[in-house]
Amino acid sequence: MALEGWLSKQAAVVAVPIVTVLFGILIGYLAQRSRFCSVGGFRDLFLFKHTRLVWGYLTLIIGALIGYIIFSLLIPSAFAGFPWVVKNGILSPIPGSPAGLSGIGYVVLTVISGLVVGLVGVFVGGCPLRQVTMTSEGNTKSLFFVIGMCIGAVVFAAFLSAWVVGLMKGAGL
Amino acid sequence: MITLTLENLRLKVLTMTDIKNGEEEPSGLDRFAKLPIFVGLVIGILAAFVQALLITAGGPEAYGFCVACHTRDLVNWIVNAGTGLKLAIAPISANSVLPVLTIVGVLIGAYISARVYREFRVKKGDAVQFLKYGIGGFVFMVFALLMAGCPYRIALNVGYINGIAIIAVIAIIIGVFIGTQVILRITEGTR
Repeated sequence: MALEGWLSKQAAVVAVPIVTVLFGILIGYLAQRSRFCSVGGFRDLFLFKHTRLVWGYLTLIIGALIGYIIFSLLIPSAFAGFPWVVKNGILSPIPGSPAGLSGIGYVVLTVISGLVVGLVGVFVGGCPLRQVTMTSEGNTKSLFFVIGMCIGAVVFAAFLSAWVVGLMKGAGL
Repeated sequence: MITLTLENLRLKVLTMTDIKNGEEEPSGLDRFAKLPIFVGLVIGILAAFVQALLITAGGPEAYGFCVACHTRDLVNWIVNAGTGLKLAIAPISANSVLPVLTIVGVLIGAYISARVYREFRVKKGDAVQFLKYGIGGFVFMVFALLMAGCPYRIALNVGYINGIAIIAVIAIIIGVFIGTQVILRITEGTR
């Protein structure tokens, strides 16, 4: 089913870069002021029992839920897949996941990836959003993290994605 | 001695992530901007609003904000335009005149804020640190894309009631927990 939002197709394809850059500026500003960080929130909770940052991640989930409920009532055609487990099934992957795996395959992939993402985040002192904002604060180490991310994106799309899918299908997942 | 090293670590983390007390009194709005609990709520609700506005351009749903995927879209779009390759990008970026520019916005917004509040400081590193962070970014991106999102898009998808996203959040939390235990072992080992 084609998804339809408030803007027509012709308007939306022009609005995408403009709206996202404005939304990004607001996020960047707020993230810099608040030191917003997802991985850092859980790290501070486990290491020091600090809950300041972790509340931000929890309210992000709550805010998204509230937003999706409100806006899906206002314009249902833009939220055809909401709520996802009802419309698409319990183990239906997040769109854009490597294609063609079984439900269990996505669970395995997600658990491994989540563990690595959490681990790496702790060791570099923050999630990618924090790295991007620290880059803008003048941190050269974070700049190299962002460069590493960019290289990772290209290598993943060019080679790794297909390789991992082949590997997992070979394992019967 | 262990508590002392832990205290040092705590101070290091605090200076990295927490707010130092500024000289001037924060204005009304800035008091909110400094609160992660408020910032999270705003980003979440606006991500839903952006979807209501733009989704006709193309999917996926619950894609309003993602550091990994939106960076991927921008970088791969540029590479595709320059080389004629067809690296994967989300439909919303493929269909539009330009891809999602959220990350460009974040860089600009954070830079403005850092300048306005005089928190811009060039922090230098050495080659070993650059390599460590570069590899960190590479590994992070690859595994984030394997689960189709950074912790932020995962959070949006939890709000979208996606079962896989709920599993992902639990896995990230366990990963962070393991990481903190390793760090505690290391700080104990160096006493």
